[in-house]
Amino acid sequence: MSDVARHAVSGQPAPPGIGERLRKDYFRSPQQALISILGLGFFAWILWTVANWAIFSAVFDGDASPEECRAASGACWTVIAQRWRIILFGLYPFEEQWRSALACVTVVAMVVLSCLPSSWTGKRLAAIWLIGTALFYVLMKGGLLGMPLIGEERWGGLALTLFIFVTTCLIGFPLSIVLALLRRSELPVISKGIGLFIDAVRSLPLLSILFAFAVVVPFMLPQWLQAGKLYRVIFGAALFFAAYQAEIIRGGMQGVATGQSEAAKSLGLGYWQRTSRILLPQAMRNALPATINQFVISFKETSLVIVVGFFEILASGNAAYGTGDWTFAYREVYAFIALIYFVFVFSLSRYGAYLERRMAVGEL
Amino acid sequence: MTNPAARAVTIEGMNKFYGGFHALKDINLTVDPGEKVVVCGPSGSGKSTMIRCINRLEEHNSGLIEVLGTPLNDDVGNIDEIRREVGMVFQHFNLFPHMTVLENCVLAPMLVRKTPRAQAEAAAMKYLEKVRIPEQAQKYPGQLSGGQQQRVAIARSLCMGPKIMLFDEPTSALDPEMISEVLDVMVSLASDGMTMICVTHEMGFARRVADRVIFMDRGEIVETADPETFFTAPKNERTQQFLAQVTGH
Ligand SMILES: Nc1ncnc2c1ncn2[C@@H]1O[C@H](COP(=O)(O)OP(=O)(O)OP(=O)(O)O)[C@@H](O)[C@H]1O
Ligand SMILES: [Mg+2]
Repeated sequence: MSDVARHAVSGQPAPPGIGERLRKDYFRSPQQALISILGLGFFAWILWTVANWAIFSAVFDGDASPEECRAASGACWTVIAQRWRIILFGLYPFEEQWRSALACVTVVAMVVLSCLPSSWTGKRLAAIWLIGTALFYVLMKGGLLGMPLIGEERWGGLALTLFIFVTTCLIGFPLSIVLALLRRSELPVISKGIGLFIDAVRSLPLLSILFAFAVVVPFMLPQWLQAGKLYRVIFGAALFFAAYQAEIIRGGMQGVATGQSEAAKSLGLGYWQRTSRILLPQAMRNALPATINQFVISFKETSLVIVVGFFEILASGNAAYGTGDWTFAYREVYAFIALIYFVFVFSLSRYGAYLERRMAVGEL
Repeated sequence: MTNPAARAVTIEGMNKFYGGFHALKDINLTVDPGEKVVVCGPSGSGKSTMIRCINRLEEHNSGLIEVLGTPLNDDVGNIDEIRREVGMVFQHFNLFPHMTVLENCVLAPMLVRKTPRAQAEAAAMKYLEKVRIPEQAQKYPGQLSGGQQQRVAIARSLCMGPKIMLFDEPTSALDPEMISEVLDVMVSLASDGMTMICVTHEMGFARRVADRVIFMDRGEIVETADPETFFTAPKNERTQQFLAQVTGH
């Protein structure tokens, strides 16, 4: 029965209007009214301060000089207009930056595609990610189709951030599934060993793992096993991601009733068929909220590669205001970078919320 | 004695332990093709354990189990072969909740028997009609009643074309008004000549369908008889007590 119909039938008064509701929710007693007014005032003050800085007193002229900017009391968006290429593309050669931009678009397209429910089969996801990553790599690195070769040491900015994030997930996610499955192995040597490994990785700070892979590993591995520093660092980040994600998936697996695998066995399905068709799909659904969370965390943690000398977006931002005349405009640069992070992370978490609603309906 | 290979199930001197607990003691049982065997007994007597040994959901510790002439041992090929030919219906249905009814039904034929999808779907619809819910094919299990879910579970098993069906208390998780719709399906399956081993306390079903009733207690088969004798003149004292309990109230 709809609200209206119920009111019509029972003769109850219509729901309170907005003024009535405001009064009930915020001004029920004098104390409550005071708190509401103070809170509202504080909120309005913050909003005003930010808006005043970012909009009303800000300089939007892309060609303004640093002096003109300094004279204004608000933000100086000129620095973004002049330096956005450094923030987004880092040290990537100027004339080739369209490739870097295209590569970023590729990553975004790849992520959006894999978020669509219609692409949720193992094959399609694998295809999207392998093709997307390959395209990204070719665009960035070049060396064919008339695109000059540009080594990883010159990649930077948003493109590098996205590359680290995507490859970390691309390596880390399958690895986490393998770890989670091995941890359930019936052979105690394997399950205990994997458990120990996961706990060891989880008990180290990511920073130390990145350092180890950037600096220490080269001394331990033979020359032919050493990938470039960027890839070693990504591998370290992927290991870290996998250790956490493996525990998340394991939790999801524990939520799948044993009857599920018994039914699958009784139908004659083999281990891999049971695992890929029955166990993992249900485990991943159970683990979804925590998994989205893990993706968000690793996106933000990409900024840690600064310490081993990579110019991802945050480091490129430092360079954008750090050189020349714009050293005073660091707030604007950080605000811009924060906005970029926000757009990515907020979309991710909204998407997670959408998935959870969908699951609640039982559609997934 | 008939040729063992012609038998549906042969169990000889089978024992099963859970740690130090002797769950099944020297079980001997043979089931001929087309035969319907009902297994009953008090809770914890080992009924589930026994029929779960037949398709290796539980591993027996000693003795012999042969299903359709294939010995059940550590040979994984044998286990796979037996599972392909033996269907099982569980107390709690165990449908795959993330797949539609139709997907539940075509999954195993497509993966295990490599049946093409169109053919598997046609067969699935045939069996869904047999259990009288073809109209639910596109729904998810969570959208069905318990009785409907159990009938889907039966259809799902039948889609593999099994020669033997195992039932482990298929109606005991159901509301009373749904029990008969599931039993009806089982009766019609029996009249089609399916070999069936049913753990159930539905004595009406046992009388109507069973060729033999087996009574288990404390891990042993205590009594085996045709339904008429079993219900009217049980020999064993424990059987008598049990029957007094299930029919007495
Ligand atoms: N996985 C297990 N580990 C240890 N003991 C078990 C296990 N499964 C069953 N048992 C024990 O084995 C005995 C037989 O169990 P089983 O489930 O076969 O009984 P049942 O006759 O099917 O009973 P019910 O009517 O309650 O289903 C019980 O005493 C039970 O406690
Ligand atoms: Mg049981």
